[in-house]
Amino acid sequence: MATELPPPVEHELETIDLNINVGPQHPATHGVFRMILTVDGELVVDADPVIGYMHRGGEKLSENCDYRQAIGYQDRTDYLAQFNTEWTYMLAVEKVGGIEVPERAEYIRVILGELNRISSHFMFAGAFGTDIGLFGTPFMYSFRERERIQDLFEEVTGERMMYNYFRPGGVAWDIPDGFKDKVRDVLKEAQQGIDDLDGLMTENEVFLARCRGLNPVSPEEAINWGFSGPMLRATGVKHDLRRAEPYSIYDRFDFDIPVGTSGDVYDRYLVRLEEMRQSARIVEQALEQIPDEGPIMAPGIKRVLRLPHGEVYARTETPRGEYGIYLISRGGEGPYRLKIRSPCFCNLSALRNMAVGNYMADAIIILGSIDIVLCEVDR
Amino acid sequence: MAEQQAHPGQQQATLVAPPPGTVVDIFKEVLSDIELTPYQTAGDVAIVVQREDLPRVMKTAKEHPRLALDYLRCLSGVDTYKELEVVYHLYSFRHKHSVQVKASCSYDEPHMPTVSHLWQTANWHERETKELFGIIFDGHPDLRPLLTEEGLGYYILRKSHPLAEIEEWQEDYLKLAAELEAKTKPAAAAAPAAPSEAEDRAAKVALAQKKAAAIKKARDEARAKGLSTEEEKAFVQQALRAVEEEEAKRAPVAASAAAAPTPTEDRAAKVALAQKKAAAIKKARDEARAKGLSMEEEKAFVQQALKALEAEAGPPPAPSAQAQAPAAAAAPAPPMDRAAKIALAQKKATVIKKARDEARARGMSSEEERRFVAEALKKFAAEQG
Repeated sequence: MATELPPPVEHELETIDLNINVGPQHPATHGVFRMILTVDGELVVDADPVIGYMHRGGEKLSENCDYRQAIGYQDRTDYLAQFNTEWTYMLAVEKVGGIEVPERAEYIRVILGELNRISSHFMFAGAFGTDIGLFGTPFMYSFRERERIQDLFEEVTGERMMYNYFRPGGVAWDIPDGFKDKVRDVLKEAQQGIDDLDGLMTENEVFLARCRGLNPVSPEEAINWGFSGPMLRATGVKHDLRRAEPYSIYDRFDFDIPVGTSGDVYDRYLVRLEEMRQSARIVEQALEQIPDEGPIMAPGIKRVLRLPHGEVYARTETPRGEYGIYLISRGGEGPYRLKIRSPCFCNLSALRNMAVGNYMADAIIILGSIDIVLCEVDR
Repeated sequence: MAEQQAHPGQQQATLVAPPPGTVVDIFKEVLSDIELTPYQTAGDVAIVVQREDLPRVMKTAKEHPRLALDYLRCLSGVDTYKELEVVYHLYSFRHKHSVQVKASCSYDEPHMPTVSHLWQTANWHERETKELFGIIFDGHPDLRPLLTEEGLGYYILRKSHPLAEIEEWQEDYLKLAAELEAKTKPAAAAAPAAPSEAEDRAAKVALAQKKAAAIKKARDEARAKGLSTEEEKAFVQQALRAVEEEEAKRAPVAASAAAAPTPTEDRAAKVALAQKKAAAIKKARDEARAKGLSMEEEKAFVQQALKALEAEAGPPPAPSAQAQAPAAAAAPAPPMDRAAKIALAQKKATVIKKARDEARARGMSSEEERRFVAEALKKFAAEQG
């Protein structure tokens, strides 16, 4: 946990620790996030993260909506993996209400969710490259790929960011004609894009020098700190909710769970890169299996749902880790309590443990490797 | 929701017992002397424990080899209208089982033992729950507000703290709008075209309100009947059509609006003037270039030509009083050429520098220095006239 600091250099001059305020408006903080670093020379001796700049009270707002209206707030937490967050909420509602989702809708959800994972990880790779000093190129490459997927989503949902497409019991409307072929095309390009990124970054001299061996985290620490997603898998814990507690139809697909060995920053990147490839595999299989015809909504779903009494903690594997929703229903038209367990919130809470003992410039990389989305942290 | 507000004390009527063979049985076996209430949620199995037993239960849950719940997934606060609950969701990587643990405390004494020494991830979760529910976690190392650095002073996720009504939210805005309306009303009354527009708008608003009422009524009726979404849509549309037909019958065709006289002549005059000006500029410029004047000279030449044109045309025809006022105000300001401007700026810079140096020599604070410089500048401006 506590990384041992190198012995202080003896100087004749007296030195003092310096407080450096990073953020809230700073390109390296990936949003409105502030950390107060105390540095001794270039070494970080303390870090105090300050969050909440994006706190909108999403949980409270959802508790004052009906079940359908609350979907929109899920898009606005993790704005890079909107389908995945919506999906978690749907799972919670469907579990409490005992709603069966038609097969075709499940496949649509899987295809969109996995494509969203790819686009989110593209975003990570681009932004992370910029953190490290690979200015421009990986960022532009990954944005190009992400844009293609984004266009696809726009075609399905009519929106580029806040999709609001999943509904309790299915999806809002059917996918457009020729969607499967378009997904195949985009997927082919995305796979090429992943290979491009791989070639650009993985063996890059700068990248290796700055990431390999930086901030290794042991599995025990990761579990205790509440890590999930790629952050946890990078430490070598083979835990993926799609496999550990299969939800939806994930038990039908054949895919690997990439894990790291040392839990350092480089492993976190490698795990995400491999995850993109695995997601592409899942999408390919889903495209093969998806029925051409069939309902996309469970029958008899009223627009204003009334769920029976009940509670559930639903969780899914979003690109950033375990996104959970603790939903309590008391027979009303809306959630009685809706708690969002944000993976970034838990991952970020260990920033102090991770940053202390590293150089100031590396603290920025460590922060970038968490892949934070501040809207999800603050909710 | 409204219904929940009406029955705040409503509780889940019956707790379903979990099936045998779950992690709850291990809990019962290991902690046989503690009273646990197990039940089944729509997802995991759950146990309810007394607050006094919580530290022991949690320590055992984490450290007992048969439980080994080493991962705290989520920690949530819940306000049940009767008491405050804290719900823990735990998972074991070794045994792959998960469980929900619930404990509660009263509003009067909102204290809970901390679990942040067992799972570090509870640290921020408890900080957040303290901030939003006001539950104090005893033994927590750092209970500063997390999401709002300065703290809110009230607990927003408690049910006793309702969302503000939209009017309350927009209080300032509405007040401002009312003031603005009061201010502009006499002016609007004077304008000839305004009333008809306002009337038109009022009629439109009335129609929209009527429609909204019809939609609401139809929807309520449809829901009372228990129609499906599709049927409900059709039903509402039918009601809407009825309203529109009624409206069409009632209102005579009154929309033959008299074409308002637009000030086209005004515009034509302006255009003519601009064209004349353009021609003069072009002519002057051509002449200047033919003479081989420099850029600076050319500019002066063109300006001269323009001035001549203006003198010729006489004072411009004032289209309205409003337009005349700024023009009159702008007129006295003498045009300053570039060289003079630069000279002035340089002079100003000298003044500022001198004042600043003096202020620093006197050991003034930065606030005083700023004031001192401003004064010097004011004096300079007065000197310049």
